[in-house]
Amino acid sequence: MRTTAARSRLAGYAGTYALLLAAALLTLAPFGVSVLTALTSAGQFARQGPLSWPSPPTAENLLALLTSTDGFLTPVVVTLQMVAVILAGQMVFSVLAAYAFAMLRFPGRDLLFWVYVATLMVPQVVVVVPLYLMLSEAGLRNTFWALVLPFVLGSPYAIFLLRENFRAVPGELVDAMRIDGAGTLGLLWHLVVPLNRPILATLMLITVVTHWNSFMWPLVITSGPAWRTITVATSSLQSQYNNNWTLVMAGTTLAMLPLVLLMVIFQRQITSSIAATQLR
Amino acid sequence: MRRGLVAWLLVAPSLIGVTCFLVLPVVLAFVVSLFDWDLLGTREFVGLENYAALIGGGALLNSLAVTALFTLISVPVSLALGLGLATQLHRALPGSSIVRVIVVIPWVCAPLALGVVWKWILQPSTGAMNAILGMRVEWLTSPSLALPAVAFVAVWQNVGYISLFFQAGLSRIPGSIYEAARLDGAGPWRTLIHMTVPLLRPTTFFLAVTQVVASFQVFDMVYALTGGGPQHRTEVIASLVYHEAFDAARLGRASAVAVILFVLLVAITLVQQRWFARRITYDMS
Repeated sequence: MRTTAARSRLAGYAGTYALLLAAALLTLAPFGVSVLTALTSAGQFARQGPLSWPSPPTAENLLALLTSTDGFLTPVVVTLQMVAVILAGQMVFSVLAAYAFAMLRFPGRDLLFWVYVATLMVPQVVVVVPLYLMLSEAGLRNTFWALVLPFVLGSPYAIFLLRENFRAVPGELVDAMRIDGAGTLGLLWHLVVPLNRPILATLMLITVVTHWNSFMWPLVITSGPAWRTITVATSSLQSQYNNNWTLVMAGTTLAMLPLVLLMVIFQRQITSSIAATQLR
Repeated sequence: MRRGLVAWLLVAPSLIGVTCFLVLPVVLAFVVSLFDWDLLGTREFVGLENYAALIGGGALLNSLAVTALFTLISVPVSLALGLGLATQLHRALPGSSIVRVIVVIPWVCAPLALGVVWKWILQPSTGAMNAILGMRVEWLTSPSLALPAVAFVAVWQNVGYISLFFQAGLSRIPGSIYEAARLDGAGPWRTLIHMTVPLLRPTTFFLAVTQVVASFQVFDMVYALTGGGPQHRTEVIASLVYHEAFDAARLGRASAVAVILFVLLVAITLVQQRWFARRITYDMS
């Protein structure tokens, strides 16, 4: 009796491990073959096909991408700048607005917040044509400002999420600090922000991931090599060098590597906190 | 009064952003959809002609069908696989925390870059998939296989991310009720179907709504994998908007498609809210 129970439990463990191993392999395999291809010389790839081990591994594809004049160096720099500016703007302006919505009373607050929540339903593809017309009219097409302007003033999603969390700050703490003479901004900086570090960190990660990976807007508003982002560069690399897959895989590797590293570094933060972004 | 002023000052930057870059564009999308408007700036008021042309023509109907089919394949499959993966990870066997990180990696990668990687993997003659299978299958260029192939890649990207939410949901279910079910002699399948799935309803609801809304807007991955082809079999609504606007230079027609998508998404969200609100939820607090 006891041994059959133990045996079925052991079989259960084996089943779970088999499933988890399969999931891990299926997830990693596409990354594995694409990185291996990026490290394979074009000649070897042509001779031996897609599943050959690079012998010897070569950095020629990566170097070609980084050193050629229309290569990946400019898109990497542009994307880094774009993400940095959007991240700084979104965090500052979203925190300020969420704080006002969560903890201050002012006329029109609830109506305004309702408008913000309603804009959560607006798909990007609906605004892309009008935004293109507006920013072109303003003479900003194919400029750095066009890349960041629509996003830098804060995001309704971030404001909604932060407001939910800011409201959980205990009222007694707020009152105690008020009595000690803290002003509105003092309360924000010394109480609300420190108490909400985890959700702020999660939001920063989500913002970086979203904008590093954004594609449709940069594709539409930029043209030519001056201001294109890494996703646009990857896409045009693929259409430009249609069958030069070793070079194209070097491009996708460069586009994805920074975020995969970020993911590995902040793994606990990400896996434990993404679920906290569930809106209710 | 002074506090009210401070509050408005705090809200002001985001209010400018929301007004200029979300509310105004939505209004403008409705306006542009009533015009014959090309990229060079010639515009002529045509009323509802763009809508009439779209409803009369086949392109919109095709895109709606393609997008609906993509959603019907990818959302249920990725939710089911995500739940399955979560139940296995939830057992917290030694080593499973590494798997938990690995399966989320695709979610942080650009759908465009992943689309390019998978486009190569699925190439008929130089791709890894056919090299492994030892056959020559036209995954992305055959009209019948292209959409399922695109949906498969989308599922592959999303399963790990979805499992994170199910893992969080599972961890909120008290272990004592599983103990009770076990003592009553319920096997693992019955426990899953009759306890776990109903108790996870709030999580499932959240995921169903967000995933349906997201898959109705899918663009990057389709752009990279097929560009909408072959024979428009993967021309999702967002691709149609893009092609109408920036290849055919018909901004009015493109905006009409965008407006229809917007109305549709609002309707879907409301219907889902109602449908799930009617179902029983369990209070576990």
